[in-house]
Amino acid sequence: MTQKTELHGVPSEMSDAEEIWYSGKWIDRVPQWVSISVLGASMLGIWWLIAELEFVSRILLPGPAETFEELWDTTKNIVTGGHIAEGLWITTQEVLWGFLAASLLGFVLGVVVGETRLGQRAVMPYLVAFNALPKVAFAPVFVAWFGFGVNSKIVMAAFIAFFPVIVDTAAGLAAVDAETRMLFQSMESSRWQTLRKLKLPSALPFIFAGLKTAAVFSVVGAVVGEYLGGGHGLGELIRFAAQTLRIDRVFAMIVYLGIIGLLLFGLVAWAERKLLFWHKSEIFEIQGTG
Amino acid sequence: MTTADKVTDRAGQQSRPIDNEVVKVTNLNKTFHKRGLKALDNVNVSLRHGTFTSVIGPSGCGKSTLLKIMAGLIPATSGEILLSGRPVTGPRQDIGIMFQQPTLLPWRTSLDNVLLPIEIRSGAAAAQAKSADALQLLELVGLAGFDQVRPFELSGGMAQRVAICRMLVTGPAILLLDEPFGALDELTREYMNVELQRICRERDATSFMVTHAIPEAVFLADQVFVMSARPGRIAAVVDVDLPRPRTLDMMTTPEFGALVHRVREHLDMGINGGGLA
Repeated sequence: MTQKTELHGVPSEMSDAEEIWYSGKWIDRVPQWVSISVLGASMLGIWWLIAELEFVSRILLPGPAETFEELWDTTKNIVTGGHIAEGLWITTQEVLWGFLAASLLGFVLGVVVGETRLGQRAVMPYLVAFNALPKVAFAPVFVAWFGFGVNSKIVMAAFIAFFPVIVDTAAGLAAVDAETRMLFQSMESSRWQTLRKLKLPSALPFIFAGLKTAAVFSVVGAVVGEYLGGGHGLGELIRFAAQTLRIDRVFAMIVYLGIIGLLLFGLVAWAERKLLFWHKSEIFEIQGTG
Repeated sequence: MTTADKVTDRAGQQSRPIDNEVVKVTNLNKTFHKRGLKALDNVNVSLRHGTFTSVIGPSGCGKSTLLKIMAGLIPATSGEILLSGRPVTGPRQDIGIMFQQPTLLPWRTSLDNVLLPIEIRSGAAAAQAKSADALQLLELVGLAGFDQVRPFELSGGMAQRVAICRMLVTGPAILLLDEPFGALDELTREYMNVELQRICRERDATSFMVTHAIPEAVFLADQVFVMSARPGRIAAVVDVDLPRPRTLDMMTTPEFGALVHRVREHLDMGINGGGLA
């Protein structure tokens, strides 16, 4: 009897509080798909207006119509296996290998750093400092080391995506609540058991936050590597299009770069939802829709 | 040495030592050298089998430190703790502990949380073999049918009941409770106190609870230790001879009120004596 009231008491209290909190905001009475569509349409309209009134030269800023036309041509090129398809495939491979290397290396080293006192006290400050550096500035170094081929791009992607993974993994391991650690101490848990059964699962939300950042960063790294020259990836094609003032083509290919990033991000987010069914962020989602 | 061990071993299995003494703390001192703080000054505690002891005192009187030393989680500076005749030098399987937070692992079901101590000490197979016991414990605390539920679906009171099961599953000789219901709302807390009394009586448990609340301390206890701060010492022991099982209605009786009053008096003396006023 008390179990039922206790079980349902808490969530209903929370939604009550939320209702009171939000009741005055008009935006909450508009369905979200409407607000998203209206905002998107307005932005397209402003873009169209600026291009149409030629505030900026038409060559430098093509309007939505030209851009969508070019996007259609690009899509046709990709579907029929043209040179853009080749570029897309090369960049995708660079992004994936870079992301994979960054995730594995970042996770393993993050565990080492987060688990050892030396790592926490001596290595972590360096990582935080290094993380604050503009890492794209290292791109020429990697070209010098690994040449103009695909390798330097993969290394650049991995390098830039590696830091959020290692920093978040180490921070996640260190963030385990003190009372729960004391509980494991009272159960005479070994270091390995505490790591496997407490620290790693607790750190998963942090690790996934790092992986999601890495998914976006690895695209940045690959493209920056390509901008420096060499290869036939999308970055190279964009650079060439911009030099010949085909801004509409640049926009079209940026859309495809965005799709690579979104797909990778979506994959990580999907894995997170599967693994973190117990976590607060997921629970609120469940309650929000149900 | 060996003969003494044998004697206590036999005593532990069959007839208990003299006075049914489960825990004996002798001349316990704790100094935190870094802060130059004398947390515990010559503390002596004797807990008999099947009794409930409450420890109450102002913040910083060392009551939580005392509990953690008894649990083998932090070392004493000097003094001795005997549990079932054997000195406590570190965490032990026959020590059950519970904190203010339920500290359940959110990715595990209630049942797997209860079995965690077995799994850590003896492996997954041993834990599996104990499932029936764990289910029985969940039933004992009123959570029958909640074994496959995860912590985020439980209220605060229910989560603490799972934590009680996890503490009981190894069959500990002593239950150490560190403000176990301090984070719960007042109504749930009172209800959980009644529940805790029932569980302790059914298991014939020996319990040692640190708390901030005088009525809670009196309601549950056979004896209340009143501690004073700086340095932390036991200033008084108040025996509670109210009949059991106690009900929430009893808290309004003059006898209960008198006991609460006595504890409060000792607390005030301890604070004044400690030089705070």
